[in-house]
Amino acid sequence: MSIAAPTSEHGFEAYLAHKRSRRINNWLIVAGGALLLAWCFWDTIMFDTDWQRMGGALGIGGTLARFFQVDWSLAPKLVVPALETLMMATLGTLLGCFLSLPVAWFGAANVTPSKFFFYPLGRFLMVLSRSIHEIIWALLFVGAVGLGALPGILAVAMRSVGFISKITAEAIENIDPKPVEAIRAVGGNQFQVMYYGIVPQILPVIIGTIIFEWDINIRRSAIMGLVGAGGLGLLFFRQMAMFNYGGVTLVVLAVFLLIAIGEVVSHFARKAVI
Amino acid sequence: MTTVAAESLSTPSRTWSRYRHPESTIRFAVILAILAFLGWSVAFLNIDLSRVLGAFPRLAEILATRYFPPDVGYVTDADFVRSVIRTLEMSLLGGFLGVVCSIPLAWLAARNITISRRIAYPFGRLAIIGSRSIHETIWTILFVTVLGFGMLAGTLALTVFCIGFAGKLFSDELEAIDMGPVEALRSVGANPLQVFQYAVFPQVRVAFTGIAIYTWDVAFRAATVVGFFGGGGMGWYLKRTTQQLESTRVAAILLVIIGLVLLAEVGSGWLRKKIGRMR
Repeated sequence: MSIAAPTSEHGFEAYLAHKRSRRINNWLIVAGGALLLAWCFWDTIMFDTDWQRMGGALGIGGTLARFFQVDWSLAPKLVVPALETLMMATLGTLLGCFLSLPVAWFGAANVTPSKFFFYPLGRFLMVLSRSIHEIIWALLFVGAVGLGALPGILAVAMRSVGFISKITAEAIENIDPKPVEAIRAVGGNQFQVMYYGIVPQILPVIIGTIIFEWDINIRRSAIMGLVGAGGLGLLFFRQMAMFNYGGVTLVVLAVFLLIAIGEVVSHFARKAVI
Repeated sequence: MTTVAAESLSTPSRTWSRYRHPESTIRFAVILAILAFLGWSVAFLNIDLSRVLGAFPRLAEILATRYFPPDVGYVTDADFVRSVIRTLEMSLLGGFLGVVCSIPLAWLAARNITISRRIAYPFGRLAIIGSRSIHETIWTILFVTVLGFGMLAGTLALTVFCIGFAGKLFSDELEAIDMGPVEALRSVGANPLQVFQYAVFPQVRVAFTGIAIYTWDVAFRAATVVGFFGGGGMGWYLKRTTQQLESTRVAAILLVIIGLVLLAEVGSGWLRKKIGRMR
């Protein structure tokens, strides 16, 4: 617990006093946290919940039982939405990669065109992309381009820009400068420096990140249907609206299966790349 | 292929590296398959490529005309501020419960220190992957259906989300520990709990604290939209204003969300840096 080790001149008493103050400090933090959580608990669970409407254990059990009567008849209708979800995620990731190219370029301190304007801009775009939830992006794009798979793709792309460009910018910042200098020394122009000096160094990291992001984007595109873009989310929404809870369970299982497949594929793809 | 080599005569080393691979055929096949899948996707989803590029100017135009003067009065309203505080409460409680539940699950799901590789390991993995793979909004909808509208559903959805998020990071961290102390304690006959307490936990305490703070950060981001599906908090205001097409109010709410998420990110980054220094 004590990182600052006792020195000989302070002696054992000083060490004990240090430990005691640390302990009191820790207890204060824990007590403060516990109070805060207790207040949160009171306010959210006790105050805001309508226990009467829930209908007791029987009511909850009844609803749960309906979820467990899985409606297998829906299974053939799941194939096309699942494929749509997968495609939405893939295209969204691809578009996200293209969009994050300039952002990463702006946001990497060593290659940015201007430290005072483009660097903060790039950093801001990264944070902006990540701080807006995919549901909100989807809502904005449904308003802009109408219903269908396109707003989902755009929303997924916008949401993934932040992560991809952040990792890419960090990779660019951490490159070995020697190859860049070597190419400059033999007279390579800006593009050649980029293509032969920087890209080969960061490519494995970027591809790994993209595969990781694709995996997450399957998850994201599975809910795009909730706000008007297609895929499994739309089916989920419809089953929910029809109160066909057995169908809902099946859709959730399909999402789970799709993501399990995505996880396996991304695991092997990352192994092959790195 | 030889024409490619002829083109880049100035950098012969790069051309060489391409032909060194004996699997270059497989590589090209994979790239071709990915491209084919992308093309098929565009055709299957019926995407008009010109609309993709047009979407961004159009979004900018809509934001400028319809969303532009954000209705600041709406977000300074006492009810809205109350909902923001509730969002914060939900994220704290959900994050805390999620972290508390995910530590034992991560212990089971860490291959090197799990209790039993046959039963506990797959169970822990499945629990973490299961809660991770279903998106938090779907969890919210499910909990709202079973437990009714309100913050209880939202908190539980965030809890499950945090179990998946933190559980994966925790178990990754646990799998990377130094096994020396673990074996030392095992060899003197400690039970699994003692091994965890004295050999594992001291190694990962700092990392776990950092991950817990990061989990809260992500949970807060998720908590802003949990209310959209009836989970309580500020998301409900977002839903209401979106459906009533009160775009200036939506803009104000979005700005508040962005501001709060930024604050949370800066705060959690600062805390994590501070804790990282204690390592």
